Amino acid sequence: MKVLVVDDSVTMRRIIINSLKSSGYDDLVEAGDGIEALANMEGVELVLTDWNMPNMDGLTFVKELKQSDVYKDIPIIMITTEGGKGEVIEALKQGVNNYIVKPFDKDTLLDKVKKTISG
Amino acid sequence: MKIDYINPFNNAVFNAMDTMVGIQVSRDKPYLKKDNYTTGDITGIMGMAGNYLSGSVALTFPEQSILKIYEKMIGESADSLSSEVQDMVGELVNIVVGGAKTEFTELGISYQLSIPMVVTGPKHVIKHKYENPIIAIPFKWENNPFTMEISIKLLSQAKK
Ligand SMILES: [Mg+2]
Repeated sequence: MKVLVVDDSVTMRRIIINSLKSSGYDDLVEAGDGIEALANMEGVELVLTDWNMPNMDGLTFVKELKQSDVYKDIPIIMITTEGGKGEVIEALKQGVNNYIVKPFDKDTLLDKVKKTISG
Repeated sequence: MKIDYINPFNNAVFNAMDTMVGIQVSRDKPYLKKDNYTTGDITGIMGMAGNYLSGSVALTFPEQSILKIYEKMIGESADSLSSEVQDMVGELVNIVVGGAKTEFTELGISYQLSIPMVVTGPKHVIKHKYENPIIAIPFKWENNPFTMEISIKLLSQAKK
């Protein structure tokens, strides 16, 4: 399964990617903002994206995906420091399938990934 | 009800270090900072902008402390304040200010987060958003100290 990890922090991408790798996911691509992410969508089956990023933020990126005939059905998990109820509701309204608030531990991440891809 | 504007940030530091890094940190007595110099060699600072609460929060680490934390968090060692280490400091301050935001939201107070900025160098200057008093809160993990700086302005004319 091809997974795209989007976060402006290299550290955060590293942590997420290492966790996914340790659980057997090996087809992983990464991007530092929404624009870079949109350019790397080919073949992607699951998107994990940050919210606050320069150039194009995660919510705008999600809206772009949802407007695309090709990408609109790809499951999306948002991983962000934005933990307020309002933000979570807004993200879900835009079509995000699951939501993880930073700081998170590895088990939470893998659990949400599993739940998201199994429908 | 009197609101404690410092505790949400303290809680967020404990939570970030515990969950993301896997370490238990302890907190020391806060003090008021007298100048703009930091106690650390690397500092991440982030702005908050809200109708009621505005300001900035910084996390500053001596080099040895942050290298130890980096190793613990990433599982690889670093021997200098590399771009990776700088990035991690930026993300840590992001998680702390974001974590506090979640707690403030429950009290009906909201603010926007800026993108974190990182500065390095021995005893460097950090400019907070306002010329308000800066509260410094010392933390420690084993023999590795670091400090959080908080400078908050409450805009009392606005409704929270
Ligand atoms: Mg970010």
